[in-house]
Amino acid sequence: MKRKTLITRSMVALILISVAMVVSPAVNSLPTGVGGTGIQTSGCNCHAAAPTATIDVTLDGLPDQYNSSETYTITVSFEGGPIESGVNSGGFNLWASGGEFTVIDATVQSRATAEVTHTEVGNDYRTWTMEWIAPSHGRNVDFILHVNSVNGDGSNSGDSWNRLDLSVVGSLGVGLDPADPFTVLATLIIISSVLLLITILYGFYRTNPEAFDWEHLAPWITEWLTSTDHKKIGTLYFIQGLFFLGIGGILAMMIRLQLAGPEMGFISQDQYNQFFTLHGTTMIFLAAMPLINGFANWIVPLQIGAPDLALPRINALSFWLQPFAALLIFTGVFSGQGADTGWTGYAPYVVSAGAHSGVTMWVAGQIMLVASSTLTGINFLTTMAVMRAEGMGWMQMPLFTWSILVANLMLFLSIPAFGIGLLQVYLDRTISTAFYDIAAGGDPLLWSHLFWYFGHPEVYVVIVPAFGVISEVLATSARRSIFGYRSMVYAMAGIGIVAFIVYGHHMFTSGMSPSLRFVTMLTTMLVAVPTGIKIFNWLKTMHGGSLVYRTHTLWALGFLVTFTLGGISGMFFPSIAMDTHLHETYFVVAHFHYVLVGGTVFGFFAAIYYWYPKMTGRMLDERLGTLHFLTAFVTYNGIFWPMHRLGVVGMPRRTHTYFITTDDFTNLPEWAADWNLFISVCAFLFFFSNFIMVFNMLISLARGQKAPADPWGGWSFEWMTSSPPPTPSFDWNNLPVLKDANEHIAHEPSVMGIWFNKLMVPEDNEEVNN
Amino acid sequence: MAHYKILGQDPYWMNFFGLMFLTLIEVAAVGLDLSDFAAGYNTTEKVVTLWILTLIAIPKFIMIAAIFMHLYGDDDSKILTMTALFPAFFIIIMVLFIGLTHPEAATGLPDWCRPGNYGL
Amino acid sequence: MSGYDDDHAPQPWGPHDWHHGAPHNSFSPLFLSMGVAIFLFSLAQAWSYGTYTPGHIPTILLGLAVVGFSMIIWWRQDISFDGHYEPISTGVPFRGIQVRKVAVWVFLMSEMMVFTSLFSTYMRYRLGIENCGTVFERGLFDPVTNPTGWQEGVAVTCFEPASHLIASSWWHLAPGAINTFALILSSFTIVQALRYAKMPDLDDEVRRKKVYRYLGSTWILAILFLTLKMVEWFIGFYVPEISAIGLHEHDIVSLVSEGYTINADHYQHHSYVDEATGAHMVANIQVSASLFYVTTGTHGAHVAGGIIGLSYMTLKAWKGLYTPANAVSIEYFGLYWHFVDLVWVLVFPFFYLY
Repeated sequence: MKRKTLITRSMVALILISVAMVVSPAVNSLPTGVGGTGIQTSGCNCHAAAPTATIDVTLDGLPDQYNSSETYTITVSFEGGPIESGVNSGGFNLWASGGEFTVIDATVQSRATAEVTHTEVGNDYRTWTMEWIAPSHGRNVDFILHVNSVNGDGSNSGDSWNRLDLSVVGSLGVGLDPADPFTVLATLIIISSVLLLITILYGFYRTNPEAFDWEHLAPWITEWLTSTDHKKIGTLYFIQGLFFLGIGGILAMMIRLQLAGPEMGFISQDQYNQFFTLHGTTMIFLAAMPLINGFANWIVPLQIGAPDLALPRINALSFWLQPFAALLIFTGVFSGQGADTGWTGYAPYVVSAGAHSGVTMWVAGQIMLVASSTLTGINFLTTMAVMRAEGMGWMQMPLFTWSILVANLMLFLSIPAFGIGLLQVYLDRTISTAFYDIAAGGDPLLWSHLFWYFGHPEVYVVIVPAFGVISEVLATSARRSIFGYRSMVYAMAGIGIVAFIVYGHHMFTSGMSPSLRFVTMLTTMLVAVPTGIKIFNWLKTMHGGSLVYRTHTLWALGFLVTFTLGGISGMFFPSIAMDTHLHETYFVVAHFHYVLVGGTVFGFFAAIYYWYPKMTGRMLDERLGTLHFLTAFVTYNGIFWPMHRLGVVGMPRRTHTYFITTDDFTNLPEWAADWNLFISVCAFLFFFSNFIMVFNMLISLARGQKAPADPWGGWSFEWMTSSPPPTPSFDWNNLPVLKDANEHIAHEPSVMGIWFNKLMVPEDNEEVNN
Repeated sequence: MAHYKILGQDPYWMNFFGLMFLTLIEVAAVGLDLSDFAAGYNTTEKVVTLWILTLIAIPKFIMIAAIFMHLYGDDDSKILTMTALFPAFFIIIMVLFIGLTHPEAATGLPDWCRPGNYGL
Repeated sequence: MSGYDDDHAPQPWGPHDWHHGAPHNSFSPLFLSMGVAIFLFSLAQAWSYGTYTPGHIPTILLGLAVVGFSMIIWWRQDISFDGHYEPISTGVPFRGIQVRKVAVWVFLMSEMMVFTSLFSTYMRYRLGIENCGTVFERGLFDPVTNPTGWQEGVAVTCFEPASHLIASSWWHLAPGAINTFALILSSFTIVQALRYAKMPDLDDEVRRKKVYRYLGSTWILAILFLTLKMVEWFIGFYVPEISAIGLHEHDIVSLVSEGYTINADHYQHHSYVDEATGAHMVANIQVSASLFYVTTGTHGAHVAGGIIGLSYMTLKAWKGLYTPANAVSIEYFGLYWHFVDLVWVLVFPFFYLY
């Protein structure tokens, strides 16, 4: 009889156990103690798949109802199982939902404040004693006790385990359920929306207190819903941007709550993933970009002397795509199944069924935002190229307009890559195409390339307009023209072009082409140079001028400090070796918040204080402004400065908690917990300090001093119209002419200008005045 | 509008015929058996087909852009052509960095990721 | 124009008097955004990882209907445009060119980036994944690791370009070739429409007939393009035997019926049979198919967008509303349409023929 390969029962058992061990959540089961994330859900399943009822587990010493903060001596013991005593005969893990354990002998060790297990010595025992200090909150405390009864042969076969659940009542009884972060978030969003609605209605009321009725409200709302005027659309973008800045801030506050102490239980990892995804997406796409667009819409046509943008209805379309996109992105908040991929949405997780269903909605919303940004880019580029007033050549445009030009150029050339990536993900998740299906040959790195091809120019899109604002503000505050106008323009143009070839620095640890990594390292180091030129130019502007300290000046100075610090911290990343160490740590978080908040947001706070009188016809209160600056600037640095050090010692980002225990390799030093608490406190202070500005804006709208056409002594075109400007902003038949532009720019045309002139202007047109 | 003539005829008609002719060559290149021709040049039929298709696509592209889209012969042709060609830099970057880099970074790294290998 | 304090009230639902400039109020953007959001939302509800959940078609159609409604508002405002207000650029180097023409070119720049992204994806995968033909010719036989060669039912991941099916015979090539012809001809007809709309000294009725016939032909050719694409993808066609002209019978099966689908993880093509074992070689070609359908589909979506624009323009032309003063509007659309043709000039050889 031919002997075939026998598949014995033990072989099957071994295979099943190996599979189970691979598949089951990590449970560290060693002679030196039991613990890990999976023990509460799956038990000691390394030893056996299911608990054994013959093991009799006891937990003595606990009262029926505890007294607050009282110490109880408790004993864990069990009977039954393979052997009665001896080497390696037992193990346990005891977890409590409250209170604190104290170890009293060498057989027991602490895993966490409220979790104990056996030691290597304790592995030889079947009964252990420790102390439990009852909590002071008075709520019920649950205990979960797992015991292993092992046969001491060193392997997992032949062992058994069992579990005991116990509850000790507190004086308050069951107490409150732990807060569900999504309920909290949804409530806060609804409250914010209601407040916004009330503010809008109040704004309507103030236009005419006597006419507060539906007959007047309907046309007023219709006007706002349908207007194509750049000033109205700018205001709409503004309101949307500030609203979502608040929502993003709420998300950040909840994240900081969770991170205020080690092992907080407020937000689970799964929920935390959704929180930081939403925070990033909201802040970049629904707050920063709309704020920039708000100012761009308002100020650019005024600065170039155009009555409106080139394509007014498309401008309105660009705006309206945004709130509806936000609705799609936020469906996840209200369903609890929001996108949990990070704002970067890396493949293959983003197309996997494991990711939440909200990812598809997130992708759909982003597709709408891509359309909105593309249309905005086209509109602004065309406007600035073709609708400048007579006498305003390219090199006479104000620097804010230049910054919007460079930003929009980067935006609409890079965002189609993101759009195509999103389309691929959307189709993968709906009709099941295979762009990122690894089994079918899909390449997850393709998404990274497409995303970062857009993503890097995108971050420059949000900072370059801030550069423009700072140039305007500093020039006006220093009461002189900006130093080195031409080099400022070339620097921005240089940033705009080089931005496209540095995106690989986000992918240094992804395994992408080594040659590309090398090229990217060099180009990323290069891109700091034009930015540095700009910083020196700003410093020289102030040095050569005489600074007047208004609130916008303070914010511009603050920007100079924080953006420079952010830029310097960014210069560690081009070095691939440094990046490998710092990637995915809080150092990255510190860097980009320094440039995004310290750069973009501070730049736009300066813009608000600078242009608010022009837009509304009212002056903002300077004292409140200074108070806002002092509180916000100090608390902001309190938040993000310590993050640099936390990142260097290895605190990872995008993880919902951190550990300060001594035996885990991802633990952090003790001071990390203190600094995290400090950061969280500063975060709350920063969040609330910004309400000073909102309050200032609302109060000034109602009762502010009336603003003249030119309150600060600026000399670009927007200061030549009234505050607020009429509609249309300039008369089509009577456009302004830039006559005497030699106050703040060089008189002679540049080489590029002369060449371009010769090439482009048809001979029968008169020569352009430079 | 085109104010010039091609070979004495209306430029749009001529452009249309030229494009049709080029398309016929393209279809023929794929439909006919070129393996003997390819063997004569010591390469495969696929490579020959690719060359022919690329070399035909370029003039077709230029003909449509120049004549139908008025990038030739109009007063504003020069600046509009420069505008149309402006994205060339960004297109080249994308093709180089995304199209021509290796897609197997996730799984097949050791094969090409070696010291001395400077390919993309 | 002196300002909005003149005698006409805003007309957000249309129509619009263009003598005062572009519409300063319109409900169209609001409804367009709403419609797109509803459409994308419902589409995601209906399909999830290839599983279709019925019951969402009404909401998908609702989204499309809202989009259609917004376009009607847009066109109600546009149809009275007669060229009186056509802003001309003042800024160098575009001085003298219509603002909207510059805008269309800037738009085309972004569209170039869209198709570059699609082409880059195609290049990356096509160069990175081994071609099915090569894999099958080589076979899976390896004396050490796989001495048994190809096993029946084992699928290998490889790149199968659609051209392997499409370029396999003249009849298979026919829909694609006719489509190329149709698009080039439609580029020609739209330029003719522009020429006749612009021609000075033309009788109004003659102009109306010429313009609307040329625009209508463009529209028909675009519809033909999409129809043939559907034939090629889903329907297939049958050529009967006509011995009088020596025509043999052909049953040209559509791509989807041949198994070239985005879910094809067990794709078999009759020519790939392992000589050694006689097993049918089976491939996972999901990536290849996804690339083909999404790239040519994106192009097709742009054609569909063009059809929507053409519908409006043909209607306006039929009403005789195109004159030399506003003929440049046809040029704006023409530029977009030529761009669509340009993309096809690149898609056709590299996706259909190679």
